[in-house]
Amino acid sequence: MDANVDLAVNKVSKRYRIAHEQAAGGGLAGRLRQMFGGGAKQEEFWAVREVSFNVHSGESVGIIGHNGAGKSTILKMLSGITTPTEGSIQVRGRLTALLEVGSGFHPELTGRENIFLSGSILGMRRREIHSKLDGIIDFAGVRDFIDVPVKRYSSGMYVRLGFSIAAHLHPDVLLLDEVLAVGDMAFQQKCQQRILELRDQGMTVVFISHDLQAVERVCTRTLVFDHGRIVFDGNTRDAITHYNSSGRFNASDRKGVSDKVRIQSVEFFEEGQPQPVNHLCTGDAVRARLGFQCDEALGRVFAELYFVGPDGQLQCTLSTREKLFDLPAGRHHLEFVLPQLALRPDLYRLDAVVTSERSPDPLEWLVGCASLQVNPGRYLSGVFFHPNQWSVISADAPVSFRR
Amino acid sequence: MSDPSQNKSGPKRVRTIGPASFAPGQVGNYLSRLFEYGDLLLTLTHHRIRVRYKQSALGLAWALLQPLSLMLIYTVIFSVVTRIPSDGTPYAVFVYAALLPWTLFSTGLTSAVGGLVSHTHLITKVYFPREILPLSYVLAAIFDFLTASLVLAAMMAYYGIVPSVHIFWTIPILGLGVCVLTSLSLMLSAMQVWVRDIGIAMPLVLQLWMFATPVVYPLSAVPQWLRGYYILNPMTGVIENFRRVVLQNTAPDMPSLLASALFSVLMLPVAYLYFKQREATMADVI
Repeated sequence: MDANVDLAVNKVSKRYRIAHEQAAGGGLAGRLRQMFGGGAKQEEFWAVREVSFNVHSGESVGIIGHNGAGKSTILKMLSGITTPTEGSIQVRGRLTALLEVGSGFHPELTGRENIFLSGSILGMRRREIHSKLDGIIDFAGVRDFIDVPVKRYSSGMYVRLGFSIAAHLHPDVLLLDEVLAVGDMAFQQKCQQRILELRDQGMTVVFISHDLQAVERVCTRTLVFDHGRIVFDGNTRDAITHYNSSGRFNASDRKGVSDKVRIQSVEFFEEGQPQPVNHLCTGDAVRARLGFQCDEALGRVFAELYFVGPDGQLQCTLSTREKLFDLPAGRHHLEFVLPQLALRPDLYRLDAVVTSERSPDPLEWLVGCASLQVNPGRYLSGVFFHPNQWSVISADAPVSFRR
Repeated sequence: MSDPSQNKSGPKRVRTIGPASFAPGQVGNYLSRLFEYGDLLLTLTHHRIRVRYKQSALGLAWALLQPLSLMLIYTVIFSVVTRIPSDGTPYAVFVYAALLPWTLFSTGLTSAVGGLVSHTHLITKVYFPREILPLSYVLAAIFDFLTASLVLAAMMAYYGIVPSVHIFWTIPILGLGVCVLTSLSLMLSAMQVWVRDIGIAMPLVLQLWMFATPVVYPLSAVPQWLRGYYILNPMTGVIENFRRVVLQNTAPDMPSLLASALFSVLMLPVAYLYFKQREATMADVI
């Protein structure tokens, strides 16, 4: 390993086994078979496949990719939480991974006690924590509550204290996973500022995020992961362009009951633009377009587009369920017009479904056939952006300001 | 704000993360890494002791209550209801002197075995040498043992039992007891991640084990033909000898002590290597 390389990842692969309990047979016999590894039917999949890259000392590298691309798995291996199935990783110096804020906090302990607990879990020595205690408390802004059990903290205070501990670690290599997506806007800014400071002081940073803007701000170089492999490695701006163009239609996972109809495309357009995009901003005027190929007339149907968040929760549905339409043989487009996109910034997975009025099972159901990156646009605080118009109405003078 | 350049001085250690393996050659690396995280072990042990008593009214008295209440029950059963020989010492102090190390073993093992699965959240989110979790329960059990020892000292004073120079044998004897406890804690806590039955079976196993160990009766009450098998139990050498050197002013029974020592020497390294091999993929299944 070269002296100026902090992280060397050499042909790393990670295989997960998913045991199917049913297949092993129920009851004790099946359980025993499973325990001793024989007989149990297991499905294997490679979350990361033959990945190699080096991170040089002082470099700040971003890792982006769709859900399930292997980002979190590589981060877990870099931090040593789990080990590769094949290949090896070499780490020079002290490495700290921040996969969540407030690791190891215990609700019954006071803020001060938790600083010691969480700090030592993250690899700090007691002496070091003592010397940084005041800095940690002040950065979090919780001095008045430092001897109160953290179960009495507001969620904002909890998160601030958690990040503050992490921000005062001094590892040689810092791994960050989505940690900037916590707390209020002002605190997020403060966190980012802090990360930039650490980077500028020469700390090696690896940053995994869905927030492309944050990646662009923090990282000079970015890796794009797709299906467990690195598909792009270069400067961040090019990586983001590559990532945004790679969100192609993906029809691998079909659950429909009929071959007569196939969804062939799911595309998004900014209003007035001819080229489809897969990154939009909250509040944008958007058209969502589904393309079908129909082998024979299917009668009256409805189509739906599901937006699923990174946590697997359904966030929103576009549906024609209330008004069925005829689907004759041939190729068609269905277009939804969204005057103002209400989704909050995040990465969404899209499922497209076509269902006939004759049967409850979808004729065509594509899971995860496309993805949509929503970036911050109109101001949003809460779960979704509510399109609105506003005016000031004065009771004294009948003058109104419209926006 | 400390100067980051302080970390940059001198050659930095390189750590290699590779596939899981049973690697005796790595023991040095494992131990030096554990040593690096020594402060975490102490903090967590402190935390176990603090949290356990934080909102309880009796506080530290709970550490005494377990061996004390068992001592009372067994004294009533085995010296009032029926009579069991106690090698010439009053039964209450005789049984307490054995319950003390036995409680160290049984509560230490019970809590350590659940130590990994009760920290799923940490194991999937942060790296640290995982053996710290079961070890912190072992250390907390030692703390409880030391607290409860004060009661033994008080009882000995009450019955006028004066220890001889043989009392210093308690140090190697307890050392062996902690080795047996540590090796089983490492092995079983790692297995518990894959097979949860272990934690469920623990109370039953420990109860049977206690009666198979000379706790409520002396080793001398065991028929000669059975003794050979008795000393295969590594806790026999620990419990019987602890009581002997504390209460009876005699040297330990060497065959049983050597059997415990042999068990520790063989088991501890195997258990530790097994644990480290399992540690590598623990976060994937926990």
